[in-house]
Amino acid sequence: MSDSRRGRGARSLRDRLEGRLLTLLAVATSAALVVAFYYPVGTVLVEAVRVDGAVTLGVFAEILRDPFYFGELARLFAGESPIAVASDLASPDRRLGIVGFTAYQAALSTVASVALGLPAAYLLARFEFPGRRTLRSLTIVPFVLPSIMVAVGFVATFGRNGTLNAVLGALGLPPVDLLFTLEAIVIAHAFYNAPLVARVTTAAWESVDARAVETARSLGAGPLRAFYDVVAPQLYPAVLTGAALTFVFTFGTFPIVLALGGFQLATVEVFIYRLVRDLSYAEAAALAIIELVISLGVLLAYLRYEARNTVRSRGARPLPRHSLLPSAPTARKFLPRVGLAAYLVVAGLVFLAPIASMILASVTGGDGALTLEHYRFLLDRQQTGAAFQVRPWPAIRNSLLFATGATLLALPMGVVVAVLTTRRYRGRKLVDAAAMAPLAVSGIVVGLGLLRGLVFGIEVAGWRIAVAGSVAIVLAHAIAGYPFVVRTVAPGLEGLDRSLIESARALGASRPRVIRDVELPLVWPAVVAGAAFAFAISIGEFTATVVLATGADAYTMPVAIERFIGRRLGPATAMGVVLLVVTGLSFVVIERLGGEHRGL
Amino acid sequence: MNTVDFEEAATGAAAAAATTDHAPPAVELDGVSKRYGETAAVDDVSLRVREGEFFTLVGPSGCGKTTTLRLIAGFEEPTAGTVRFSGESVAGVPPEDRDVGVVFQNYALFPHMSVGENVGYGLNFADPPGGVTRDERVAELLELVDLPDAADRDPESLSGGQQQRVAVARALAPGPDLLLLDEPMSALDAQLRERLRVQVRRIQSELGITTVYVTHDQEEALAISDRVAVMRDGAPEQVAPPRTVYREPATRFVAEFVGDNNVFAGRVVDVAEGGAVESDTAEGGAVESDAAGDNAGGDGAPRTVGVDIGGETLRVAVADRDAPDDRDVPDDRDVPDDRDVPDDRDAPAVGDRLVFCVRPEALRIDGGENRLRATVASAEFLGETTRVTLDWGGRDLLVRTRDPLSGEVVVGFDPGDAHVIDD
Repeated sequence: MSDSRRGRGARSLRDRLEGRLLTLLAVATSAALVVAFYYPVGTVLVEAVRVDGAVTLGVFAEILRDPFYFGELARLFAGESPIAVASDLASPDRRLGIVGFTAYQAALSTVASVALGLPAAYLLARFEFPGRRTLRSLTIVPFVLPSIMVAVGFVATFGRNGTLNAVLGALGLPPVDLLFTLEAIVIAHAFYNAPLVARVTTAAWESVDARAVETARSLGAGPLRAFYDVVAPQLYPAVLTGAALTFVFTFGTFPIVLALGGFQLATVEVFIYRLVRDLSYAEAAALAIIELVISLGVLLAYLRYEARNTVRSRGARPLPRHSLLPSAPTARKFLPRVGLAAYLVVAGLVFLAPIASMILASVTGGDGALTLEHYRFLLDRQQTGAAFQVRPWPAIRNSLLFATGATLLALPMGVVVAVLTTRRYRGRKLVDAAAMAPLAVSGIVVGLGLLRGLVFGIEVAGWRIAVAGSVAIVLAHAIAGYPFVVRTVAPGLEGLDRSLIESARALGASRPRVIRDVELPLVWPAVVAGAAFAFAISIGEFTATVVLATGADAYTMPVAIERFIGRRLGPATAMGVVLLVVTGLSFVVIERLGGEHRGL
Repeated sequence: MNTVDFEEAATGAAAAAATTDHAPPAVELDGVSKRYGETAAVDDVSLRVREGEFFTLVGPSGCGKTTTLRLIAGFEEPTAGTVRFSGESVAGVPPEDRDVGVVFQNYALFPHMSVGENVGYGLNFADPPGGVTRDERVAELLELVDLPDAADRDPESLSGGQQQRVAVARALAPGPDLLLLDEPMSALDAQLRERLRVQVRRIQSELGITTVYVTHDQEEALAISDRVAVMRDGAPEQVAPPRTVYREPATRFVAEFVGDNNVFAGRVVDVAEGGAVESDTAEGGAVESDAAGDNAGGDGAPRTVGVDIGGETLRVAVADRDAPDDRDVPDDRDVPDDRDVPDDRDAPAVGDRLVFCVRPEALRIDGGENRLRATVASAEFLGETTRVTLDWGGRDLLVRTRDPLSGEVVVGFDPGDAHVIDD
């Protein structure tokens, strides 16, 4: 007996090396996080508390007391009576300040996203119709669409010469100018976040056990009452998840506001960008910290709520879906469907119009006739553009290279973190939080930290280390993308039957070997999805890139679009279409590549 | 006398070999506990599983049986105590180095591998025993579990029973020293379960592999095992061969968990030593002479006591009636069973509280020495027999009969049918 055990022990030498491999990957991931995230962010944050070599909180105090940032609330921080501040806040000519405005637009965006997302969840969760699954899958698309492209789409839709005004003009109505208004920003945010709300709510709705509703009905509750008592309580947490995430995302919004609001409607993030451009690093860093504290506060409050309200329903039988065509011509059957039809018109306007307008604008000349002049402009620029000008091919090439590099980095990092955070051990939550922090920190801060650290060069033990802007961009993109790999892979790993893993171990497989032989093959679709996410995040990343690409020729497609916006919309929309096509093709390629490896 | 392993001689050469060699037990748990925070899932358990033995942990859910199995497999490490394989501590040895085969309730076949790949998976880490090739070993095992043509099939295309047989084959393929089965049949329907358990027992006997089996089904435990540990609240209440557990349960819990039982508790009112009655009560006297007469049976008459149950005195034998026969069987003293209950128990004296049980099949209609007048409360027709619940002065009595009963009946049992247990 002991002989054979020793036999296995000898063979497990290779397993032990594999065991080291996992540790090595974990160390490498931690090192990457430190180099590309914690150290750069740390250096930026230190600037906020160090003025002329002395540690001070003066920069914070100034920002907190400045009505420009905090509006009426600044007077509270400056020591004025809360009652006076409250009464001024209630008055119509209150000043919100930049932070106040950011929170205000985030709140409005959250309301709009929930309002636009819930009917979609109702449609997706409760009705059966051809293409339902496809539509459900499509709700992920806005999330990975490059924000600057979406912004261009919104300009093409709501601008003075946009599609909306063209339609209004054709109907003989006066034109409206929604550009550089709060409305445009809120609608654009809803474009991004309503699908998120719809996704989480649909998932919750689908996990409501039909037996619970049937029990309520058999106990005497009517359909509405059963919904209110049984279904709704299971939906609240999901709606709140969607709302909390929407608030955090829109609080840290950057490209949308930059393109649609300009500096007139600046949010905190836009203003940080401006301060960075003005080289006011200390103030930028302090503002970034304040932004981070608020975002994290909302996230933490939400996570506490979630921890108290998590209901796990397994093996639930979902509610049967209705047909979209009413089975009987009664008001109760018709009303919801009429409502959904009206909703679909609105949703079509919000979700399809920007993309359609962008494509349309890219082939429409100044005179309104169809033309390819904008694409010709891109070609001309490629051939004759000066060195300082943005040319399309380098942008495409850079985007693809950076995205490939970022994906190759983000994928192993994400898988390792997913493995580490789905095991049970003390301090797991801490690891989880540390690994997910990049989600909460502004891309500007990461970009700035990388720029002033690695790119400008740092001295380590007498060696000067400096990396090219392009390398820093790849690092920043990998850091931005890998949490999404974790978030797609971890639930799959978590959902795996523990006895599969234990069976493999009892058969002699070491822990890393089990990951390779059993766990990864079983969650492979999630790994592919994670890769697609990382790729898409990198392709669309604008915030850190725009900081790191300054002056360098490391610009990407989104940066090119932003630089083109300045002149006329045409070239920007043409570049946007190029981005759309490249992103779409990349997804197909990733899917194919992933498919081949499935049988691993 | 519960600890005497009177079945031992019949249950296989391996156990006998263990006795003669004085080899250390295949698996030994020595004061093992597993605590999760405040609660102890396994509480100071000491068990020994002999080489080649089919050992079953049985108990209600939450009794710690599965945790005990996981401690043996190495999926959990004990918070106290030691697990030894053949005398060697396996503390800190990960599951993959323990040479155990594990079969789970939900089969846990790797869905992305064929049946053959599943069975062969463990051969990635160990050479096939017997000098055969990997493919031959896989074929050999599929043959063993009666699925000779299944190698290329997708596990999900198999029925539950077939999947479980593949899981058994997979666990056995690397030639483990120990087979651990965690409720392997709970997900199967009753008929299949009975067939599969015969098959599992056959395979185990053929290979002579030491096996630890976990089940909540006491009937399954009795049917399949060499020895059974009946667990409750994280520790075994009794460890003994199935017949002993059934006939001579050590405790009230075991008596009621294993099969149907009637448990009585009352005060001893007299003690009859070989026919002579010492009594301090008047009413006990009427029955006791009969009792002595029936049970004396010649030499060394068993001792009986009269126990007052709700005003009636029932005569109960307190010496083990089978004891003389048991002594003939070589006793495996190096593997003591956990509770030496009856040995420790003091001879009951007048005024002591006594708890005993009588199996429903021992209660005879209009027969037996202790007679109880009761009325039929309900009856369940089970096919072969009918299980009747009687109301005896406000207490439930379970009786098994072949003939339908109704109205008022008299049931009875002899003092020797009663078995004294710990409360």
